[in-house]
Amino acid sequence: MRISTSLMHDSAVSSMSQQQAMLSKTQIEVSSGLKVQEPSDDPVAAVAILRLQQAKASYDQFGTNIDFANVQLGQEDQVLGEVTNLVQRVSQFAIQANNDTLTDQDRQSMVVELTEINKQLLSLANTEDSNGVYLFSGFTVGVQPFSRDSSNAVVYSGSSPVRNVQITSAQDMSIGNSGDDVFMSIPEGNGTFVLGATATNTGTGVMTGAVQDITNWVPDNYTLTFTTPTDWQITDGSAPPNTVSSGTGYVSGTTIQFNGVSVTLNGDPAAGDSFTINASGTENVFSTIDQFIAELSSSHTTTSQRAMFQNNINKVLQQLTQAESNMLRVRASVGARMSTLENVEAIRQDEVYANAKAMSKLRDVDYADAVSRLSQQTLGLQAAQQSYIKIAQLSMFNYL
Amino acid sequence: MSSNMLSIGLSGLMSTQTALDTTSHNIANASTPGYSRQNVVMEELAPRRTIGGYQGSGVNVTSIKRSYDEFVSAQVRTANSSKNQWDSYSTLAEQVNNLFANSTTGLSTNLQSITSAFQAVANTPTLTSVRQVLLSKADSLVNQLRAYDDRLNGLNTEINSKVKTEAIAITGLASSIANMNEKIANLTVRGVAVPNDLMDQRSRYIDELSSHINVAVVQQDDGQMNIAIGNGYSLVTGTQASRMVAQAGDYVPGDFRLALIPDGGAAALDVTNGVQGGTLGGLLSFRDNLVATAKNNLGQVAVGVASVLNEQQHKGFDLDAQFGTDLFSVGGVSVFDNKNNTGTGSVTVTRSDTAALTNKNYLLTKTSSGWMLQDGESGNVVTTTGTGTSLDPFVADGLSIEVTAGAATGDKFLIRPTYDAVATMAVELTDPRKIAAAAAIVGSANSSNAGTGTISQGVVDDATNASLLTTVTIQFTDSTHYSTDGGLTTQAYTSGDPISMNGWHVEISGAPSAGDVFTVQSNSTGLGDYRNALLMSQSLDQAYFDGGKVSINDTVNNWVAGLGVDTNQAQSNLAVQNAIYDDTYKTQQGISGVNLDEEAANLVRYQQAYAAMSKVIAIANENFSTLMQAFS
Repeated sequence: MRISTSLMHDSAVSSMSQQQAMLSKTQIEVSSGLKVQEPSDDPVAAVAILRLQQAKASYDQFGTNIDFANVQLGQEDQVLGEVTNLVQRVSQFAIQANNDTLTDQDRQSMVVELTEINKQLLSLANTEDSNGVYLFSGFTVGVQPFSRDSSNAVVYSGSSPVRNVQITSAQDMSIGNSGDDVFMSIPEGNGTFVLGATATNTGTGVMTGAVQDITNWVPDNYTLTFTTPTDWQITDGSAPPNTVSSGTGYVSGTTIQFNGVSVTLNGDPAAGDSFTINASGTENVFSTIDQFIAELSSSHTTTSQRAMFQNNINKVLQQLTQAESNMLRVRASVGARMSTLENVEAIRQDEVYANAKAMSKLRDVDYADAVSRLSQQTLGLQAAQQSYIKIAQLSMFNYL
Repeated sequence: MSSNMLSIGLSGLMSTQTALDTTSHNIANASTPGYSRQNVVMEELAPRRTIGGYQGSGVNVTSIKRSYDEFVSAQVRTANSSKNQWDSYSTLAEQVNNLFANSTTGLSTNLQSITSAFQAVANTPTLTSVRQVLLSKADSLVNQLRAYDDRLNGLNTEINSKVKTEAIAITGLASSIANMNEKIANLTVRGVAVPNDLMDQRSRYIDELSSHINVAVVQQDDGQMNIAIGNGYSLVTGTQASRMVAQAGDYVPGDFRLALIPDGGAAALDVTNGVQGGTLGGLLSFRDNLVATAKNNLGQVAVGVASVLNEQQHKGFDLDAQFGTDLFSVGGVSVFDNKNNTGTGSVTVTRSDTAALTNKNYLLTKTSSGWMLQDGESGNVVTTTGTGTSLDPFVADGLSIEVTAGAATGDKFLIRPTYDAVATMAVELTDPRKIAAAAAIVGSANSSNAGTGTISQGVVDDATNASLLTTVTIQFTDSTHYSTDGGLTTQAYTSGDPISMNGWHVEISGAPSAGDVFTVQSNSTGLGDYRNALLMSQSLDQAYFDGGKVSINDTVNNWVAGLGVDTNQAQSNLAVQNAIYDDTYKTQQGISGVNLDEEAANLVRYQQAYAAMSKVIAIANENFSTLMQAFS
């Protein structure tokens, strides 16, 4: 076949420039460390890389969210710890107060300290986070969540829903608890019913109670009335009231059972004395302490006053136990969430690693391969150049 | 005797001289593009009758032939057309490819950062600073989309101006070819002599034409060549050349169409759809496919992002307890009249369902019996519902089309649903307080509830429901049934099932007791709410387009993949066509190219022959002298 001389030169030049182009591409690969420079280099890998990048951005965001949730929950946990300590301190006072040996002086100093504790509690309940947002106000902003109204009762003006953050593509987590949940909605009494003595009682009856069989309990407000010092009846909250149970021959220590609960009375109630066994509602911890303070400030010189004090302190004690267990419940849920965060974070780290690995596999240059390719191509180009120089010198005209 | 010898010697000398000249011509043109090697064809002269029989009388040059194969040249031209087509296409495609796919500045990166900005707002809804960050991310998204759109518009303008230049170049070459045809016809002595070098020159013009557009060549008996382009449109007939002109597009004047105006002033013939191959073919297919699709895709993404986020904005409350307003605005659907329309009817198109939008353009034609909507690319008829009035518009593919009376049969309208959406895209919000991070409603449980039932915070489904903000209480009549005020009565309760009313839904789960009350009400005091911002952050990953199958993020991914595949394909087509071209060109050069070694050998050969012939003359001369001396 005839080889045109100019084609020989042309094709030598074009093959050299092709080799140069390949060499330059390899060189860019090596210097950038990236195998896929443009989607057209490998469209399938390019899209996979885009998706991995999107996933990585989400993982990064979830990481930020997890850190944020950890900070918020950590702060909440710390505040709740302080709250628990204060409530425990109040409980200790209540146990002391339950002891008859306290002097009026003792009571007075207790009142002072309790008043201070209640203020501290209120200020803890109004704690702000690092962004100046109240920790326990739910969705409500700009309004202090806990305050005392005109009748000196603590009211909650936050909302019950709380903020969530997204911690995985399918999972949200609350980063707080509403003040309602922590401080306000504490179950009354033992959680089923709450006992009370009517303020006008003149006897010395002190009542305690327990749940026997919750399935027989019918929630209602019951009244135990002594028609005589030994005859009693229990009526429900209907109007007119229905008698649920009645009996005679009361002596101190008698236990009365009705509707799945039992109440035990000690002391000697007078005729006309009454006690309430109400279905539990909720009470806030501030009000419990307020009641405790009121009780300590009241006079209890007569036996009936002392019985009344006994009844009321029993109630306060029970209420403080409820408050403590409520704090414990909330702290447990905070702790559970923080441990979930830990797990989720560990999984996230794994995913980030797997993502980076997959990305690297798709995108990063295999240096061993690239460098050997580079030297191969360099060699190829050199060979082309040298052979071209040799061949270009071959001409018959050299011999004419 | 010696006169015979002398004349034979002379004939040899002259022939060899011609051969030497031709060889020199070959050597001189060894590097001339398009040059075809020439050969001297020698023939012995007619013999003379002598006593001893017929005696030879020397040599004669009968012709100088050009080594040329029209068939191989046609192959080279076809390969050249394809090569140039893919060259221009892939060069342009690479630009677009790199524009959209950059991993640090690409569109997908900006969409990710707006998602993260919404998450940050969800984490701390009351902080103005994070809201401000969100607005600036929204700004950069819009700026990027518009920069892309500008770049694509720039490419489109660039391509159109190139199309115009191509038309001028093609016209110039056509007239050169016609010119050469005339000269060649004049100079050709049929069967005896052809002007080889002029024919080379004409071939060169045709070769050059083939790099602009595909050509078909028909050789005429008189040596002229007729040239057809595209789908067989005649460009050159003998000495007559048509002119190619770039005309204003039917719908968009700037999108040029190509027409041929025959010599002699007959009507222009639109040849746009028949243009294939060459730089021009590459430019047109890039403009009408890749640029148009890229702009439509970009618009589709912009419209998707805007409507998804706007819709969610409307479902939430801003920091002033007002319903959110639009975050983005985008350009509307553009409609273009065909310049040949004769009627007065007009067409108005709006987007009625953004999720159903496609990345296509449409053609609406008035037929004798009504209207017909077609896919602008494939021409497939698209089924519509409705009658085209303002109350009952035609509806198809997310568009709502309203037509007015007055259109004449055959009138056509081009509808571009998303092509022009990005150009006027803007961020509507400037006040960070206006970001609706809070949901408009909130569910809550009464604090005195005795049961363990909990209510979800609630989700707004339909912001247009007039009763959305009406307070609704859900009261449990017993532990398994509930009623709501002003709505549902005695519904069976299943833990975790959604309860839908007034454009919202909530879920109650756990074990509520008889008498327990849950409330769903306006969230006007809960402006620290995060829910709507979180939903917005998730919205770009929610299935949306294509009948709720493909998320906006995936739409972008798929489109970048499509671009990558398209570019990759163009590049490999180019590589294949380059190889084919090189191969055919090599074959062609094998026939027509000059090999200097061969010419050197020829030089030596003819030089020797020339020397030998000179010797013949010298000897004849000597003989003659010898003879003369005999007489002196």
